[in-house]
Parts: sequence; C-alpha cells; structure tokens
Amino acid sequence: MKSRLEQVRSDTAAVLDGRTERLKPLAGTTIFISGGTGFLGTWLLELISALNAEHQFDIRVAIYSRSAPDFIRRHRHLGSCKAFRFLEGDIRFLTELPRETQYIIHAAALTDRRLFASNPTAVGEVNSLGTIRLLRAACLLEDLRNLLLVSSGLVYGPQSLAVERIKEESSNGFPCDNPNAIYSESKRFSEAFAASFVSETKVPLVIARPFAFVGPYQSLALPWAVTDFIRDTLAGRPIKIMGDGSTVRSLLYASDFAYWILAALACGQARHAYNIGSPEPVDLLSLAKMITQHFTPPPDILTRVGQSDHGTTRLVPCVEKARRELGVQLTVPLADAIQRTINWHRAPEIS
Amino acid sequence: MRSQRILLTDPTLRDGSHACSHQISVHQIRRYATAAEAAGVDYLEVGHGNGLGASSLQVGLSLVPEQEMLRAAKACLKATGLSVHVMPGFATAKREITNAMEIGVDLFRVGAHCTEADLTQCHISYVRNAGKEAWGVLMMTHMASKDVLLEESKKMESYGAQGIMLMDSAGAAVPDDIRQKIGLLADKLEVPVGFHAHNNLGLGVANSLAALEVGARILDGTARGFGAGAGNAPLELIVAAMRRLGYNCRADLYKVLDAGELAEEIFSENLPVSNSITIVSGLAGVFSGFAKPVQRAAKQMGVDPRDVFVELGKRKVVGGQEDLILEVANELAARQKQAGANQHP
Amino acid sequence: MSNRLKVAILGTGNIGTDLLIKVVRSRLLECRLFAGRNLASPGMLKANQLGVPVSAQSLQAIHDHRAELDLVFDATSAHDHLRHAPVLRELGLVAVDLTPAKVGKLCVPAVNLEACLEEPNVNMVSCGGQASIPIAFAIAQTNPQVEYIETISSIASRSAGPATRINLDEYLMTTEEGLQTFSRCPAVKAILNLNPAQPCVHMQTTVLAMLKEPNLPKTRMAVASVVKKIQRYVPGYQLILPPMIESNRLVVMVRVEGHGDYLPKYAGNLDIINCAAIAIAEAHAIKRGAA
Repeated sequence: MKSRLEQVRSDTAAVLDGRTERLKPLAGTTIFISGGTGFLGTWLLELISALNAEHQFDIRVAIYSRSAPDFIRRHRHLGSCKAFRFLEGDIRFLTELPRETQYIIHAAALTDRRLFASNPTAVGEVNSLGTIRLLRAACLLEDLRNLLLVSSGLVYGPQSLAVERIKEESSNGFPCDNPNAIYSESKRFSEAFAASFVSETKVPLVIARPFAFVGPYQSLALPWAVTDFIRDTLAGRPIKIMGDGSTVRSLLYASDFAYWILAALACGQARHAYNIGSPEPVDLLSLAKMITQHFTPPPDILTRVGQSDHGTTRLVPCVEKARRELGVQLTVPLADAIQRTINWHRAPEIS
Repeated sequence: MRSQRILLTDPTLRDGSHACSHQISVHQIRRYATAAEAAGVDYLEVGHGNGLGASSLQVGLSLVPEQEMLRAAKACLKATGLSVHVMPGFATAKREITNAMEIGVDLFRVGAHCTEADLTQCHISYVRNAGKEAWGVLMMTHMASKDVLLEESKKMESYGAQGIMLMDSAGAAVPDDIRQKIGLLADKLEVPVGFHAHNNLGLGVANSLAALEVGARILDGTARGFGAGAGNAPLELIVAAMRRLGYNCRADLYKVLDAGELAEEIFSENLPVSNSITIVSGLAGVFSGFAKPVQRAAKQMGVDPRDVFVELGKRKVVGGQEDLILEVANELAARQKQAGANQHP
Repeated sequence: MSNRLKVAILGTGNIGTDLLIKVVRSRLLECRLFAGRNLASPGMLKANQLGVPVSAQSLQAIHDHRAELDLVFDATSAHDHLRHAPVLRELGLVAVDLTPAKVGKLCVPAVNLEACLEEPNVNMVSCGGQASIPIAFAIAQTNPQVEYIETISSIASRSAGPATRINLDEYLMTTEEGLQTFSRCPAVKAILNLNPAQPCVHMQTTVLAMLKEPNLPKTRMAVASVVKKIQRYVPGYQLILPPMIESNRLVVMVRVEGHGDYLPKYAGNLDIINCAAIAIAEAHAIKRGAA
C-alpha cells in the first residue's frame, strides 16, 4: 500500500497533469496565504510544491498562521521547503504584508462548526476583523496582482430543495439574529467589506465561495456529515443519519479544491465571485452507502435516528462560471474521492 | 421610448479648443454661439478643451481668457443653456466655478477619469448647493468595465449629479462596448445617461446611435465634429440620423446644418480629419486631446508620432498628463539614437 | 542616545506611521510618543511592535508628556491642526505641520531651512510643493524676468487617500501659495493628476515657466545644485528632464520614488513631505547639539 504522502503526491501530479498552463501567471511570483495551515492551506502548499518541483514554477509563499510551528512539525516535507516562509501571527493583529507579495489568498477564518456554537463571538471577530486587517495591509503593496478572498457557499443562506444548483447571482436573506448565523454572516460581511474596499481602492480582488469537500488532511474530528461517516466506519461503528438521508450536498475532492482556488487566483476576473464545489449532487444515504461499500462486512446505516423530522435541505453549486472563466473541471468523481480518502486514512504515514 | 426627447449638448466651442490648440477667438465664439442658439441645441459648452482652469502651459494656453469666452457666449444665448466642463485638479470650486456662476453658466459637467469619480464630490456638491445644474462625466471610459462605470456613476449620482455622461475620450470604443456600458447605466441609474463620442475609429455616429438604442437620453455632438483627435460625432449627422430613426429633439435640422456650414467656414483651418495618427491614437486608447502636442513633440525629437501614441497607450496615460508626451518622445529619440549607434559602430 | 531630539507624532494614519519609521531610523531623533485616537489602528499596532510609547489621548497625551518632548509632528488634518497649533505653542513645543492648515511659516528645506529654525510652527506645504518649489526657486533665482510658473504633479491614484481626494482644491491652493511665496512670481498655477495605472506610477512633477530671455546654462546649474540639496533628505528625488526650452516654455521634470518605509515606493508624494518634515526636525536636533 502507498503511504499517505505518496498518495497525496500522486493526487497532486494527477490534478496538475496537462493543467499547469492556467496557473502560469503565478510562476515566479510571491504568494501570501493567510490561514495557510488548514485543510485548504495544506493542499495549496502541496500543489505549489509540486508546481515548483516538477514544473519549474518558482513560486515563493509566505504562510501566515497562528499554528505555523505546529504545522511545520506535522508536515516536515512542507515545513522544510525552501520556497515556503512560515510567519506565526494572529490575523486580527496583522499590520503589514511582506513587501514582495504579488498574490494573496485570504483563507484565515474560524471554520470549526463546534466553535460556531461555543464561541460564536470569536468567529465573528476573527473572520470580519481579519478581513479588514488583511485588506488594509494589502493596500500598501506595490505590485499586488490579485487577492483571492475565500468566502463560503453558506453566504447564499439556507436553500430549499427546489434550488437545483446555486448560481453566483443568487442572494437569499436569512435570519441574522441568531448566533448560528455568525459564520455565514461573517463571510457575508467580509464580502461586503471587500466590495467597498475595491470601490474605494481599486485593489484587484476575486471572491471564491467554497461549498463542501472531502479528502486527505481533512480532520475527521470535524462534525460534518462526510467526516462523521468516515470516522464512524473506520472505527467499525454504524453510520447514523438523523433524518431520512434525503438531504443533498456535493463534495469536491481536495486536490480539485486546491487547484480551483489557484486557478481563481491566477485568472479569476477582478470583482467577480466563483462557486468552488462539486456540481455532482449526492444525498446523505447514498453517500453513506458509498463509504460503507469499502468495508467488509459493510457497517450498518441507521436513518431517522433524530427525534424530529429533519427538514430536507439541498446545497449544490452551479459551477458553470468557474468552468467557463477559470477553465476548471471536476477531475475526481465522488466515488473516487471517497475511495481515495478512505485509502489515505488506512495508509501508514510513510511507506 | 423614442417619444422621449433626447437632450443635445454641443461642446463645439470646448472640445474644438483641442483641435485648434486652444486658439478659439471671441469672434468665432459669438458667431458659433448665435448659430447654436438658432439651431436649438439644449446646451452649448464653451471653454478650454480640458475645461475650467485648464488654460496652462501643460495643456496649452487659451487665446482668450475663460471668463471672456464665457461672457461672449452667454451674450448670444437665450433658450440654449451655457455649459462648462470642470475637472477637479485643474479647476477649483471657490475660484473657477464661482466665477463661471457669476457669468451665468447654467450647467456644470464635472468630469474625472473613469475610475476616479470620488474626486468630483466637492465640486458637484458645490454646484448643487449654489442651485445650479451639475452632471457627472466619466472620461476615457474604454479603460473601465461596465460594472466599474456603474459603480463610479452611482458615486456621482450620490453626490447630486443630475445626469451622467460617458465619454469615449480616446475614440477607442466600438458600438457593442457602448451598448453594454450605456445599457447597464440606463437600466440602473435614476438620472439620465448620455454619451460623448470621438471619431478616431470612424465610429462616432455609430456609437452615438448605439447609445440611443439602449436608452441614452443625452448626446454630445459638435459641428463638423470640431473636437480633439479625429473629432467628435458631427452634430449635423447625429440630428439627421435621429430624424431618420424617429428620435425627438429640440434642435431644428436645417439650422443645425447651417451651424455645420458656419463651423466649416470659421474653423476651416483646423477641422479634424481622420489620418494615420488619429487612427493609431484610437487603437492605442490615448486621450484624443493629445493629438496636437504629440505631433509637436514628435517633430521636435525626430520620432514617429505613431510610436509615441503606442508608448503612451502602454503607459495608460490619462487626460492632463501631457507632460509625459515630452518624456516619451525624449526616450524614443534616445532609443533610436542608441539603435542607430549599434547599427553603425 | 539621550541628546537626540525628543519628538512626538500626532496622527497615526499612513502618513504618521511612515513618519514614525523615519524617526526611528534617524540618528538624531527619538520618538517618545505616538498619539492618536485609535489604539487598534494598524499604525498603533506597528508602533507597539517597535516599542514606541503610544496613546489614544491625542493632544492630551502631548500635554501629559510635555516634559519629555522637544518637537511635535502633526499628521492629523488641517481642521485638527488649527486646534492643536495654539496649544503646542503655549506648551513651547516646536510644531511641524504636515496638514494643509498653514498656520506657520511655509517650510521647504532645500530653500529656507535656516529661516525656519526660529519658527515655533512650520508648515510643510504639500507634496507637489516640496517637489516643485525648489525648482521654481532655482528658476526664479537665475532668471530675473519670470512671468509665470506652473507645476503639474501626477501621482498614483492609490497614493491619494479619501481626505485628499475629496478636497483637491485645498491641495491646489496650498501649492500655489507656496509657489508664489518662494518664487515671487506674479502668476502661478498648480495642477494635479491622479493616475490609476497598474502597477502604480511614481510621483512625477513638471515645472513649466514662461520667461523673457531665459539663461539656460545658468538655470541648469542652479537646478542641478538644488536637486543635489534635496537628494540629501529625499533619496528618491531624481531629475528626469533637465531644464530645456520646448515650444517657448522652460520645462523641468522630476520623479520622486518613495523610500518604501511604511508606505509603498510609488507613494513618493507622501514620502517627500515626510522626508522634508524629518529634515527640519533633524536640523533642530543639530542646532541643539545632538549627535
């Protein structure tokens, strides 16, 4: 069996195969990534490290994160990379960016759903203030070519089943007087602030609205449907679905996610927003089955374990705009994505 | 929609200033203003090519001081309003705008480069607070997307602008650009939207008609196209085409044609023509008002004026940066010399 | 260390913060206080990181630290400086005013540094003024019959903050007043262009003059010498077109590349006014026997 790192390397090689032309504007530049040590950040660094090693991209990256030292320890192959410079800091107190920065990916945000419940004020503060700080600092750069604001597919608000695929223009008001709304509201505020900022300063800025993902490096401790399912299955426990399993989501594989983000950074149109997610819908019951089939005997799938009837929701992006303008496509179908993720979790750290 | 009357603004005595290196005389002003009044254009715009306060060594000195120009025009106008172009950075509210108000200017068209609308806040507010009409003007509009133009127009609207003009100052636009840009503004703004063409690519009239087609309510046209670069959309052609298409305006076709004849007579030496320089200027997207100074500098430095335009286009110069012309011509001359030296060691 | 001139900076925006970096670098100055209103502003955070004492009490903080201070830079606004000026005077502190308030003597170090050292309050005119006035002065000194002087500055759009953009008239008036004061030319004009080009352009200033019988060789020498003088305190000041006659006008062009301290290099317009402010403060330090 391939080691985890070997699997990640073959994923990055596959997603970049024949697709590096789109990313050419990034060659030879310096990218600043805020929050560069999370799931997305790790994958971005994997892709960039492959671009540098295999495709002579010569990209330099400054990674700004609160947990930079921990990251370097956990991911030595990335931590020791000469092109990567790790800066430890809290985005709320960011005042300046490295002068040579030409591209920025602003991904720093509190995204842990558990925190939305236990410490929603911190979520609101870090996500909104962090964006303000970063944009103010970006304004002092000499040669900023593009700034990618990583927002969220949740800015569209709750969606009914009738919305087959969400387009970038859609807008839906939702109750904002609820602490549960803080994450989506912080992202909506970030977008609104970014739009005002662009109007005032003309800084080139593109918005990415990620939906849901799956893949290596994603922490199984996060209580999302797919991570819950994989964690429970790996532990030999049955999968529990609160409702009847008809809720619909879509999941983009990690390497595609990172590639799409880099493509949006390299060739997204300033002032435009792009959905970043899989257009392939899946209901939770089918997703659970997709996971359990990799185990023998397959663990049970229990539905309706919740008390009340759960309203069925659907959250699937329309990604025509990203396809058209960024030239991206889904290279890892969901079934593969699930298999690769399970393999990665089963694999040893190193071979 | 065609029953809506189209406002015609005639900047012959302002844009034409560029065409004659700012040498319009009081006599020419009196004669043309009288003809414009008779023709029934809604506003006649008078002054230096870059507007109030722009008579300068940088852009060119006006033959006649601006207050004299305005007074001479005002005396010939009754039903036609007197308009001026105002660019913050050249003109100040307390000095130039106040003086123009005292002379009786009716309309102040406050302009800025198409991404810099916030520069006009103070001037538009000042005009509105004095009870006069103010429009916002976005210049060099080929350099911004329709979304940016909408955002910038809305800023001007919020400062109190009662009309928004898009100027294709470089004559670089094609009808489809205009349909998209004017179309969006006409759809989203509360105030009327207008268009000001330059004819570098021979599309002045076509672009103006495209603007009407998507809802523009104001058009600029100059007699015989007397304006910067390859000139503007000729007023007489606009009025004729509007009649053909069934658009309404206050102007009288025959009298507009007469005004055109008069312009041909009194401005005969400086009527704009299309030539290789104006075409390259349009393609390079350089402000049409640069035509004369570029030719002057190119001659002095012994370089091809077309190269100067291409280089200026690369540098994305904006109106008011005439000093760069000399620098660019100087650099091209040095490069030429260098190349020559390399060829004959 | 102890005989450095002790200064405070009022105003913690971009200008004040850039000034702070310059003061910290100076061997003749010591920043004892960085005061404004917002402790959470990026400038305050920066000052904190540099170990400079900060206060959100603005003018009150100057009061409170009076004993520790010799000179105060005011980088707030014209409106605020009108309020600050009498207080600073009463406290016996030298005020270096970077706003367009014009309370004190207009100061252009390359031209009148000495004369400014006796003044309780000096005003740094404007960015375009700092770039063009020395050239205008040199032209006026070498050509007795200067009829008209004009200056055009082009700056990167992004280097002009909201306050400047909303009030370009104030800039034009201040620059013209400065030109007239120093050149004694009867007719002057200032023009400002904001250039939105990306990447941002460096500040460029052109001085144009109309004069009877220009003495070109003498003018060239005078301009070259004043440019050298400016370069001592504005390292990024360059003469890009030495005096020449074109279409019967005398033309001189300079470019100002910023030092890139806190503000980006393209913001030469902000750099030059800060450099000039530092020059006058350092002259005070030398006069008091520092270094």
